[in-house]
Amino acid sequence: MSSMVSLMRMAAFVTGIALPVFASAQEKLVISDWGYANDFLVPKVYEPFEKANNVKIVIETGGAPERLNKARIRGGVDIIYLTDKFSQIGIDQGAFDKIDASKLANFDELYDAAKHPQGDYGPAVTFGRYGIVYDKTRTATPITSWCDLWRPDFKGAIAMPGFNTTGGPSVVMMAAKCAGTDAFSDPDAAFRKMAELKPNIVKTFSSGSELTNLLSTGEAFIGLAQDYAFPAIKAANANIGWAELKEGDFAMMNTINIPANSKNKELALKFIDWQISKDIQQISSIALGGGQGPVNKNVELTPEQASRLVYGEKAVTSMQTNPYEKLLAVNADWESRWNTVFGQ
Amino acid sequence: MNRRKLHPLMQLAGWLVMLFLIGPVVIVLGTSVSDTTYLAFPPKGLTLRWFENVFAQDSFLSTFAISMQVAAGGTLLALVLGLAAAYALARYRTTIPAWYGSVFFLPFFIPEIVFGFSLLKTLIVLFELPVMPSLILGHAILCLPYMVRVIGASLASFDFSIKEAAVSLGMHPVRAFWTIVLPNIRSGMIAGVVLAFITSLNDMAVALFLTGPGISTLPIEVFTYVEQFFDPTVSAVSVLLMAVTTIVMILIERSLGLSKTIK
Amino acid sequence: MPTGKAAGTRCSGSNLSHSPSIIRRLSVIGPWVLVLPASLALLLLLVLPVAGTLMESFGNPKGIWENYRLFFSSSYNRAVLIRSFWIALQATAVSLVAGFFGAYMIANSRPGLKRVLLIVSVFPLLTGVVVRSFSWMAILGRNGIVNTALIQLGLIDQPLSLLFTQGAVIVGLAYLFTPLMILSLVGVLETIEDDLYLAAESLGASPFGVFRQVTLPLAVPGMIVGSVLVFTGSLATFVTPRLLGGEPQMTLATLLYQKAMISFDWEAANTIAAIMMAVTILCVFLMGWLVRRATSARVAQ
Repeated sequence: MSSMVSLMRMAAFVTGIALPVFASAQEKLVISDWGYANDFLVPKVYEPFEKANNVKIVIETGGAPERLNKARIRGGVDIIYLTDKFSQIGIDQGAFDKIDASKLANFDELYDAAKHPQGDYGPAVTFGRYGIVYDKTRTATPITSWCDLWRPDFKGAIAMPGFNTTGGPSVVMMAAKCAGTDAFSDPDAAFRKMAELKPNIVKTFSSGSELTNLLSTGEAFIGLAQDYAFPAIKAANANIGWAELKEGDFAMMNTINIPANSKNKELALKFIDWQISKDIQQISSIALGGGQGPVNKNVELTPEQASRLVYGEKAVTSMQTNPYEKLLAVNADWESRWNTVFGQ
Repeated sequence: MNRRKLHPLMQLAGWLVMLFLIGPVVIVLGTSVSDTTYLAFPPKGLTLRWFENVFAQDSFLSTFAISMQVAAGGTLLALVLGLAAAYALARYRTTIPAWYGSVFFLPFFIPEIVFGFSLLKTLIVLFELPVMPSLILGHAILCLPYMVRVIGASLASFDFSIKEAAVSLGMHPVRAFWTIVLPNIRSGMIAGVVLAFITSLNDMAVALFLTGPGISTLPIEVFTYVEQFFDPTVSAVSVLLMAVTTIVMILIERSLGLSKTIK
Repeated sequence: MPTGKAAGTRCSGSNLSHSPSIIRRLSVIGPWVLVLPASLALLLLLVLPVAGTLMESFGNPKGIWENYRLFFSSSYNRAVLIRSFWIALQATAVSLVAGFFGAYMIANSRPGLKRVLLIVSVFPLLTGVVVRSFSWMAILGRNGIVNTALIQLGLIDQPLSLLFTQGAVIVGLAYLFTPLMILSLVGVLETIEDDLYLAAESLGASPFGVFRQVTLPLAVPGMIVGSVLVFTGSLATFVTPRLLGGEPQMTLATLLYQKAMISFDWEAANTIAAIMMAVTILCVFLMGWLVRRATSARVAQ
């Protein structure tokens, strides 16, 4: 008899803790982001929005390609932050809805480069750049060019982005440039040059925080980084600096989109409007620093604050750009070439 | 059972293997109290801040709660299914052929990552089931073999004539099952539940494919954390998980005897 | 709770309603009714989904073997396949050796010690694969115990890169699966009769001779079972190669995940899944055949 009682107790216990999960009926907005800045975003951006709109925000974090695929095949995501590379992939897959700009009160305050970066889909929410960071105490001669990555004294020193990251293909383009050719017209030469880089690579990474990890433990002392990761890297290892490259950094932007299978599109649109508003843009740029170059023209920063950011339209347009349409066309070919070089 | 006097070299090799098995556990313990932002062993300075950090991470706490719910649901489901199957297999040996029993060990023979991927395509994509029930169903399948095996083992030593006697004396068969059979296989059921719970709590392969927006399990969260941050917080989580495991093991050992459970 | 008396009445009361023929019919169908729910769950949640994956791997409109042709035509994929086998094989060898010595000591320990050693061996098995792989990151990392020790001994002055190598993956997998090997071997080693040893010794066999001619052959079935468990397990583990090896140490399991969730190439993912299934099934049959052969050889002796 006692076993029956304990079994029933167990059943009651299980339904007791399992029920709330199935029964949560309050309106929710599911936001998919990288997770690296949630210590700031949750209290300063998400929670005020929750209060103002009486909604519960649920966050899904992870690397861009996984989040994009999950949102597309599994649904349930209402807002997705991605780098421009992955939002372009999502757009090509038909994963997002077009945005009706007339419903965004703050839309006209955006820089032109941020308004329609990829057709009528989501606007840019931050401007950033992509370049090289390195521990200045572990090399005597500073890095001044992308081609320095091939230096023989950097054996086993570099943390390299995986091909399926935003920066992966950019490295191939630079490799071709260092070999004196163009990656699109002569991929053979570009990947021959990539193969020469192999001895210098200690590990490939798939997220910015993984890079931070490799640099702070010293497993690597050179990394290819987006500037959003730089403050965290700098905090973990103060010797690390941003390299001044003569070819220049790559321009990057982060976009915000509404998945086509979202069930909460009106509120999602409202959230986008909130995210591009002057106030939110201003506090994000100041608090997060690197990678959070404001997209709203009305944001005003002190020179000191601006020095850590891509600030203003001129800064955005003066950098090297990634030709995503061309890149996505050769993506499969380059991926298999990349795998052939690095996977063996 | 026989004991041989071990050659000193064999003895040394044996102890080295034990060191290999327990060393990493000790090292994780050490790094979890190290006052450095990286993993250092022997620990440099002593601190409990990494344990504090575990409890400061909302994501660890909330995914732990989800893991517990999934484990409870999956275990219960596996218990009901496994108990019925194990009972039938043990009681009706003449009706159900012996080979049928091995059907329930199928989950052991399918690579978990293949199982997880297949479940994603079936439950989530095809049937559009929400994340939580999908996880529970997947884990129930992972746990089923343990249930059938452990409960089956304790049913094997149960004398069914006791139950038959009660039934022939007028007791309803269902009631006889509850009052006579169940109490006698209690230890097997507890061991099955514990094994299933641990299996579910530790699962990566299925959760890797099935977790979704806002619903993640603790192993997935720890895995993501390890990939991103290399600080001793993960050591602290590991130590806490090991503590839970140790308590569970002591409980089984006390109530049932470990050697009985694992064979 | 009904009292004993009330319960008794209800029991006899309900018994009256059962005519013998119904009971007889029930005793034929009943057992199947009891195994049905579990069988159905396995069919719907395991057999059909996995069968679906296998079928889809042949579903390329250009021909049933097209996905496989695509998979094997890439030198990268072939390298991953070979690397996976090679890593799994080495991990199996390491855990076979470690498992044998561990099990041999356990089987020959006095009961009290035996219990402690058994707990030590099983303990890692009960902690998660993430925790167990992570512990090796702490050991092999730049600030880990190996590098610290080597530097303090003055053998090296710069930390070695031990993490993110094939060796790291092999050690990590061996650590995962050595407990399984020990469990497969302890039982076998325990049942070796003392008489056999005595007989061998009285026939003049040296201690090593006894070990080679008595202990090892009798342990073979356990070794086969353990090796297959470790080999198939190593092949299917995702976390360890991902955390300890990284992208250069891509294995079938990590490639499956990458194809399924990152590059979203489900045809390739299906094909990899089917290959993993085929290898596993092959190994299990091989195991059955080898164990039968080993035992019949022993009987013949």
